[in-house]
Amino acid sequence: MNFFFFLLFTSLGFAETTATDERVVGVFYMNPLLGHVHQSAVKESASLTTIQCAHPVKVIETSRVKTDLLWAYVEVADHRGFILKDYLSEKRPDCFQARYPKFYDSLNLDLAELYYWGRLYDHYVQGLTRVH
Amino acid sequence: MITMFKVSLASISLVLAAAAWSAPQKLQEEKELELVNFKSVKKVLQQDGLSQSVKLKEKKVDAMKKERSVVEESRYTYPTQDEMWGFISEYWLVKNAQLLQWDFQKPDYGLEKSFATILEGMGFYQKKFKILLLNNPTLVRAALPGNEGEVILLVSVPFIRSLDLSKLEISLLLLEDFFRLELGYFKKAVETEKLRTLSGTSFLGAKPDQSMIQEVLKKYDQQINETGFTFQQQFETTKKMDNFLKSNPELWNSYFRLLGKIDRMVKSNHQYKDYVRLYPSPEMQVKWLSPPEKVL
Repeated sequence: MNFFFFLLFTSLGFAETTATDERVVGVFYMNPLLGHVHQSAVKESASLTTIQCAHPVKVIETSRVKTDLLWAYVEVADHRGFILKDYLSEKRPDCFQARYPKFYDSLNLDLAELYYWGRLYDHYVQGLTRVH
Repeated sequence: MITMFKVSLASISLVLAAAAWSAPQKLQEEKELELVNFKSVKKVLQQDGLSQSVKLKEKKVDAMKKERSVVEESRYTYPTQDEMWGFISEYWLVKNAQLLQWDFQKPDYGLEKSFATILEGMGFYQKKFKILLLNNPTLVRAALPGNEGEVILLVSVPFIRSLDLSKLEISLLLLEDFFRLELGYFKKAVETEKLRTLSGTSFLGAKPDQSMIQEVLKKYDQQINETGFTFQQQFETTKKMDNFLKSNPELWNSYFRLLGKIDRMVKSNHQYKDYVRLYPSPEMQVKWLSPPEKVL
């Protein structure tokens, strides 16, 4: 009987830590034209969903998910996955789609094009030379 | 007498009632308005600055209306040329994703640091570059215009492996493409009249001209896969490389050796037979860089 209570309390204690351990760091916005929420923190990993520029993204911190410095653990609608931190901004970005909505809509990008456009930003090796 | 008075009183009351019935009934609000004599309070209102605030409000509404119409019109504009170039280049990469095969797990050559160091060494500051590695042996290299102050550089991983290039050599290859783009050959070759005239303009009240994008995409295909660059353009690019690398003999020697490597490979490997047609020619480039032979 004592053993049963011991198990019960320890499991309750564990449940408490896992539930309160998670915290929302903040709401950030997608920066590039299109991007992916990745299944794992690897550029080539599968995509859970494709999101457009300025889409709000909830950044989560939890001890259950370890991310390196480059990736953020995020929640978008029903999906939880990873986005490169470089592609998130605190302020709503000035997006191409918002500046030229009618031109952008007229292109009627199909699903494959939207998918590849999001992947493109994951595959770029980007750099910026410093100011002298 | 009393009866006469009663009859006259009744008739008067009847006439009054009839008159009241025939006159149109006023609304409660109208009655309230009648009670307020605006003329008498006009001066007070003017002294309070109410009419002035009404004028200010009217001005504000006018300005807001104008602003709204400007915003509405801006929704129907083509991107400016600077934005259009970056957009079309990426659209071309997306449309040719399967052919170019850039969506693959690639090795990390550390190019962002290596190429940035070379650019900075040449004095190119605040330059943004995007390098895309391709898993395609036929499209060896290309440089596409990006947004303002930005370049998109493509380079084939099978080509890098065939030549066993170091990150310094890859960076020199990218630098040559960067110069070629800076010299404006690519834009000149693919730019259309429609792109020049429509960019940044409004298409309010009409559909956007899709043929503008399609024509430019077609020209991208032609330039990258078929036309390539002329001997003159290659000579100018090589001379530019020569001028910039002269101050750094180590880099100049690496570039010279790289051209020799490419020349030997395109002559021996049938897979790269189109390279010479698109980028004429490594053999000539080596000659242009070589010191003139002394005639005794």
